[in-house]
Amino acid sequence: MVEPLIKMEKIRKSYGRVTALDGVDFQVNHNEIVGLLGDNGAGKSTLIKVLSGAVPLTSGAIHVRGKKVDFHSTSDAIAAGIETIYQDSALVTQLSIARNLFLGREPIKGPRFLNRMDQDEMNRVARDLLKQVGISKNIPPTTPIGSLSGGERQAVAIARAMYFDSDLIILDEPTNNLGVAETQGVLSFVRNARDSGHSCIFIAHNIHHVFQVVDRIVVMRRGKVVADNIDPKTTSVAAVEDVITGMSELTGGAHAH
Amino acid sequence: MEHRSLIQRLVAKPEFGPFVLLVVEVAVFWSINPDFLSPLNISNTLAFTVELGLIALAMTLLMTSGEFDLSVGSLFGFSPVLMWTLFNAGVVSLPLAFVVALIVAAIIGYVNGWFVTRLKIPSFLVTLGMLLVVRGTALFVTDGFPQRTWKADGNWLATILVGDFYVGPFRIYASLFWFIAAVIILGYLLTKTRTGNWIQAAGGNPGAARARGVQVDRVKVGLFMLSSTMAALAGIISSIRTSAANPNSGTGYELEVIAMVVIGGTALTGGRGTIIGTVLGILILRIMRNGIVLIGVPGLAYNIFIGAIILGMMALHSWLERRHQAGT
Repeated sequence: MVEPLIKMEKIRKSYGRVTALDGVDFQVNHNEIVGLLGDNGAGKSTLIKVLSGAVPLTSGAIHVRGKKVDFHSTSDAIAAGIETIYQDSALVTQLSIARNLFLGREPIKGPRFLNRMDQDEMNRVARDLLKQVGISKNIPPTTPIGSLSGGERQAVAIARAMYFDSDLIILDEPTNNLGVAETQGVLSFVRNARDSGHSCIFIAHNIHHVFQVVDRIVVMRRGKVVADNIDPKTTSVAAVEDVITGMSELTGGAHAH
Repeated sequence: MEHRSLIQRLVAKPEFGPFVLLVVEVAVFWSINPDFLSPLNISNTLAFTVELGLIALAMTLLMTSGEFDLSVGSLFGFSPVLMWTLFNAGVVSLPLAFVVALIVAAIIGYVNGWFVTRLKIPSFLVTLGMLLVVRGTALFVTDGFPQRTWKADGNWLATILVGDFYVGPFRIYASLFWFIAAVIILGYLLTKTRTGNWIQAAGGNPGAARARGVQVDRVKVGLFMLSSTMAALAGIISSIRTSAANPNSGTGYELEVIAMVVIGGTALTGGRGTIIGTVLGILILRIMRNGIVLIGVPGLAYNIFIGAIILGMMALHSWLERRHQAGT
């Protein structure tokens, strides 16, 4: 059997006396969009923070492509191919699309000591990427992020993750505060990302958005995974809601290890 | 986004407002008193303008990265005092004293940066403290008296820094070329290089920049060092030109420099900076100071005009920013 892309085993995370994650097993396969659901305080955000290197885990192990990893910072996670996109926080609004895409990895033109950015190359790649991610409007790559809509900003962040070959793109509430059309846009960006070989973890309060795009649903409650193999094609939204709130423990393919 | 005409794009640039103001200013002063554009007045105005300008250029980069430096005025006074004290005591040659003064300034900048980035103390408080420490040191070591500087005449270092010559009727100081060089180098650094991208990102969204592996703290410390060193250089140039090293000189310059930078369109909160705008801001304030005296307005009224310009330009920049963000 192929190694899963991400395998998290018996993850525990405590903040003082509060246990945010209580022995979580979680995995993401290659080319898969996983929907992570759970009420406020269920432990979704903490799990994502651990996986993105933002907070250290108390105990447990994370494997990427079968290899154990040890994240001390978000840069470690990015280097391992895990990119987390928080709404709005990942981009510099004053900088252009192209400058944001290449921030920290700007290509150099001419002699090294002149340290000159290759802005033509950056703009060219940015233009291609925007098309690839599915932005149909003609937005020049020199446009500052500040004048883009929320959905377009998500698209730029997703495009950046795709370009720099992140195997796993984590989207935390990507459809919050977005209109209907914008939401559909973001969902299609996510599908495009999967179709070009990336995996995603999709976290959203709106279960309907999750159902439209994911291959598999994982539900967390009180620091534990209570269902990890729900198929959105064969399960109803209402049934998943019952799992989230604790009305029902076994719905769909829950606990089908 | 629809295609915008050349004029619309020009107007949307942050440098446009300051440019118009500068042109109006020059036109008004010149029409009231034609002596305003006389070679003598231009030469005199330019000599000190470029000295303050050197500090404003470095401050532009620092402010773009989201920090600012209130200690520059005190370094402007302290560094020449240090250089002349070392030289007059016969300990070292003038060039060596010059190098030592710049290194000490760079260390002071490093300390500023260390407090801001490591201890997470706002730059306002750190550099305010440093202002007092540096100014206090300058006053203490000199007992408040100016240092002798007359041995500088004919020294090659003095000639390189601020030697003067005539181009037609204009008296030009070498410091003008240092200023122009700084404009070109720092303008290139901010707009064309990777470092420039990091400076803007550090000020715009430090969290996002860090997540992309940008060494935000290192960028900021480097810019604090640049700011202190340029303030020291400006102070030394000024002291050689005026043959005076007064421990009190430079008092209040920090606020004038910050005013120059923000008038030019650099954001006080960081993320957006323009060297061209700062050059315009420098000229606007210095020409204002010179012009209102020439047209007979009492010099004591100077601050009223400066304050009005700052408020007016801030209102303009904020209006342009909101229009721009709205995508119009």
